Amino acid sequence: MSGYAPAQKPAGGENPVSGAQLNQIVIEYLNKKGYSRTEAMLRLESTSLDAEGRPIKSRLEDDPETMYEKAYSLLKDWVDNSMNIYQPQLRKLLFPIFVYSYIDLVKGAYVDGAKNFFELHSQEHMSIHGHDIQALQSVTLPAHIEENELCQTFLKKGNKYRINLTKAAKDLLLFWIEDNEAIGGSVINKVVNEHVTLNVIQGKSTNIEITDVGDNEGIIGHISGSSDLAISNTVRLKLGALPMDKEYIAEIEDELRAEDMKQRDDTRMEDLGVTTQPSLLDEFQQRIKREESESEDAPMRDDVPLPPYTGLDIAREVQMVKDNRAKFKLEGVPTPALPSIAMYTFHHTHNGLNTVEFSRDGRYVAGGFAESYVRIWDLTGKPLISAIAQENTHAASSRRLIGHSGPVYSCSFSPDSRSLLTASEDKSVRLWSLETYTNLVVYKGHNAPVWDVAFGPYGHYFATASYDGTARLWSVEQIYPLRSFVGHQSDVDCVTFHPNSAYVFTGSSDKTARMWDIQRGASVRLFTGHTAPITAIAASPDGKYLATAAEDHTILLWDLAAGKRIKTMRGHGKTSIWSLAFSQESSILVSGGADLSVRVWNVKGGSGNPIVTEGEGAQANGGDGGSKLGDSGTVNSVGARSRKGGEKVVATPDHLAVYYTKRTPIYKVHFTPRNLVMAAGAFLP
Amino acid sequence: MATWSAQTIQDIADSVGIQQLSPAITKDLSQDVDFRYRQIIGESIKFMRHGKRNTLTTQDISHALRVLDVEPMYGYETTRPVKYGAASLGPGQPVYYLEEEEVDFEKLINAPLPKVPREVSFTAHWMAIEGVQPAIPQNPTQADAGVRDSATKGATTANSISASAGNQERPSVKPLVKHILSKELQLYFEKVTNSLLDPSNDNLRQAALTSLRNDSGLHQLLPYFVQFVSEKVTHNLKNLFVLEQVLEVIHSLLENPDLFIEPYVASLIPPILTCLVGKRLGSSNDNDGTALPGHFSLRDKAAAILNLVTAKFADSSHTLKPRLMRTCLRNFLSNDAPVGTHYGALLALAAIGGKEAVRVLIMPNLKSFEQNVLDGKSEEGGEKAAEVKACYEAVGKVVRILSEEKVKNEDEMEEEVSDADRTELENFVGPGCAQEIQRVGGVQLVRKVLEVKNGK
Repeated sequence: MSGYAPAQKPAGGENPVSGAQLNQIVIEYLNKKGYSRTEAMLRLESTSLDAEGRPIKSRLEDDPETMYEKAYSLLKDWVDNSMNIYQPQLRKLLFPIFVYSYIDLVKGAYVDGAKNFFELHSQEHMSIHGHDIQALQSVTLPAHIEENELCQTFLKKGNKYRINLTKAAKDLLLFWIEDNEAIGGSVINKVVNEHVTLNVIQGKSTNIEITDVGDNEGIIGHISGSSDLAISNTVRLKLGALPMDKEYIAEIEDELRAEDMKQRDDTRMEDLGVTTQPSLLDEFQQRIKREESESEDAPMRDDVPLPPYTGLDIAREVQMVKDNRAKFKLEGVPTPALPSIAMYTFHHTHNGLNTVEFSRDGRYVAGGFAESYVRIWDLTGKPLISAIAQENTHAASSRRLIGHSGPVYSCSFSPDSRSLLTASEDKSVRLWSLETYTNLVVYKGHNAPVWDVAFGPYGHYFATASYDGTARLWSVEQIYPLRSFVGHQSDVDCVTFHPNSAYVFTGSSDKTARMWDIQRGASVRLFTGHTAPITAIAASPDGKYLATAAEDHTILLWDLAAGKRIKTMRGHGKTSIWSLAFSQESSILVSGGADLSVRVWNVKGGSGNPIVTEGEGAQANGGDGGSKLGDSGTVNSVGARSRKGGEKVVATPDHLAVYYTKRTPIYKVHFTPRNLVMAAGAFLP
Repeated sequence: MATWSAQTIQDIADSVGIQQLSPAITKDLSQDVDFRYRQIIGESIKFMRHGKRNTLTTQDISHALRVLDVEPMYGYETTRPVKYGAASLGPGQPVYYLEEEEVDFEKLINAPLPKVPREVSFTAHWMAIEGVQPAIPQNPTQADAGVRDSATKGATTANSISASAGNQERPSVKPLVKHILSKELQLYFEKVTNSLLDPSNDNLRQAALTSLRNDSGLHQLLPYFVQFVSEKVTHNLKNLFVLEQVLEVIHSLLENPDLFIEPYVASLIPPILTCLVGKRLGSSNDNDGTALPGHFSLRDKAAAILNLVTAKFADSSHTLKPRLMRTCLRNFLSNDAPVGTHYGALLALAAIGGKEAVRVLIMPNLKSFEQNVLDGKSEEGGEKAAEVKACYEAVGKVVRILSEEKVKNEDEMEEEVSDADRTELENFVGPGCAQEIQRVGGVQLVRKVLEVKNGK
């Protein structure tokens, strides 16, 4: 425990209270007068007195079965009755003390005591830490502690539960422990001392943002402990876009020049003497072109070795420039324009559809099924023609890809839409060709079901996330992984690439998200703040932000460079959020989930704090200027807390719009290069 | 907390033949069993979550057992959630059992094979168009959303168009999207519309149409152009020039690859139909009284555009084609409409429906068409005669669709149409049409037509 030495407190005299006061007065007096030796002697004598054992104190500690319960109740009562400006901060202390007390009880094999303690106090943590409480519930025998992931995380050497307190609140706590040492304070003291780090934060108590779990709070879940974390979140990142090859740029420019000429001839704009839109070449040079030299904060080309480019790459790049010019602009201050959403509803799935994925150009859609197959559809309704002639006898607009031997949990299209990756419960990942509709490669490496797979933004590389707690990086050319990203304490549930392909993001059941450097294979950022497993993750196209959604029904937005949370977005119902997507300008975030809704969020404006206004009047006019982006959201929200715990979800002001389906949970949301949102889900009959 | 009581453990031990179990062991076992099955359920829930479901299935548990290195339970595979029944052994002693259906073996063997389940398919609809949820059957109504919305306070539900229009409860409904047209776009719109309606400057008009056809940044103006089109048609029924320009505008908009015109198709159809089958188009004094009135060429153009529209959007809107066909057929069959309307409807029917429409809808009605509409009008001379002539030509053109490329084959020996065939043809389509058919298609076409007749 930092900055706190247990106070030596004499406890003499017939009346313990007046005695304590008297001693205090005497010590203060001696201190003032500078009689340091006398003071030291008095302290020494009082401790030895203490060691002889006072009846009240020893009785409490003699009975460990009940002492935790008593001490905890005492602390809780005190917190409940403390001043309301300190209450929210002090309340955060209850959860770690509850968990550690319970673990200690189980460890000591005090079965009834543990049971009793749990039953009495677990309810009050359900709303925020429900997931942990459920995990803890099954732990009843000392042997279970070894097997329970949660306990292991809490007990791991060097792992301490961190809590941010203001100076005043911390002092209050220390004084309380001192005052109540005899009747339970010592128990709390011991727990705090062993397992909790109290960080003093600057500022007045009234200004502290009160969230469920604040920045850098909670258990770290990191092998090497907190000190390493502090360093790791300050590693300098290269978040710029991947530079382009010089020859590549030249070829693209040639292509665009030709394209511009053609267009000019077609439109005969000179007749009117006006040009209404910038030429493709200008568009490319101003917005997209990235040369190696100008890239101070961008990775070098060598950092992400890619195969030499081909004509197809150039054609794709030209299409990207066109799309970029033609896209529906979703910018605007304070509230960006809202996108159009095309909804694809899947029928007759019989609960078998596990995942839906759109190709980047929006031409194909693929679905992974519990019955171990993958189905791919052409969204334009054209038949899918295979390069193998004899396969085309019954060419329809949909094909089945059969090969996996377990439920398919994830699909990912390559950026050129010519191949598809699928991940399955059978521990393998398969690569399918969309020219022949056959399986090309099986990647075996994970030793457990693979939950997610994601192609890199430039193809060639892909990342997988697995039940075995690792994420891996592969190249399509090799059947062995290139990198293993180890560090998560539990399943890695979702994975995605940074737009420059130099980093990979993972979200895990250990409630954290991580950012990995693909060159070094090391974790460079750790994002803690969720209180439940992470279900969806998305990186913004401008490379600056990360959004994560978790089973705690919130979406968190992170600043990558600073490694800090920007804001919390609330509004989804008490169900899972399955998918997140950023618009091309990174101005809008779209989310879809099991509450049958697609929601639109303002990324750049609006604070992350709940609206305090009553009733329907809450307007979605985000960007009220109350908070600036990047100031880690220290905005006053006192009063919002009163609504917590109720059934109603209060949407944060950055919630721009919500669109419901009739009976279709949203499995996937996707932004096309032209900023059209495509959403998909399986109809619930 | 412990769901498994020590007594249960004792009972299970008894059932496998272990008699003596100390209470301490049963207690420990009960707690351990509790822990194990919570662990299994915890793992199963992961599989459920990744299957994006809310119901735990037996397969989830099988998978969980597999990852925990435990032999899975066999024989419990089911796609439906498992249901349990309860029976009472005595007061307060319920026994739970798996509800299973009793199957008669004989019946099962002799029963016909069950139907093949339907293939997984998808349907698409617009959930939101530029931020506004359209009021179509696929989207929930305001009332549905309201129920859910009460669970999420502060969330702004996008108002569906119809709901926000007549909603009195919330007087201050602000449109979610503020349409801000840039100055440039406004100027552009003004300039384009003005030059389109200026008969004196042909060059400028063509340039404007080209711009509409090719420019990519016009999406914001699209609703305004649609509005412009319908307004001009409603107010300028007598002005053929304006109508023609309006059709040109529609044509250009349809051809622009960067415009997303689909949501506006419904609003574009009425103006086109008006130009196609309108009763009075153009004023009578812009004709010299003998030649074909100008509105016939307008109808030609409208039919062509309608063909373009259906070709482009029939796939995305299944009801579009039938709706249009119905309208055209009604006009074609009505007796009191002027010749022009019939002419337009006839062309459109053939253009939209192709061969099939000609065969099924037009051929059987040709005779009555000739009798009711055309007969007796050619004698009136002048304009009417020209109109009737145009109609016959249209019939010829339409019927020719039946035999497409074969008609063009001029190398073939020309045969004379036999008298019998001719009579039959005249009986079928009426003498005027028969003559026209012979003129345009010769003997092959006549045969084709007769095939149609006899095929029925």
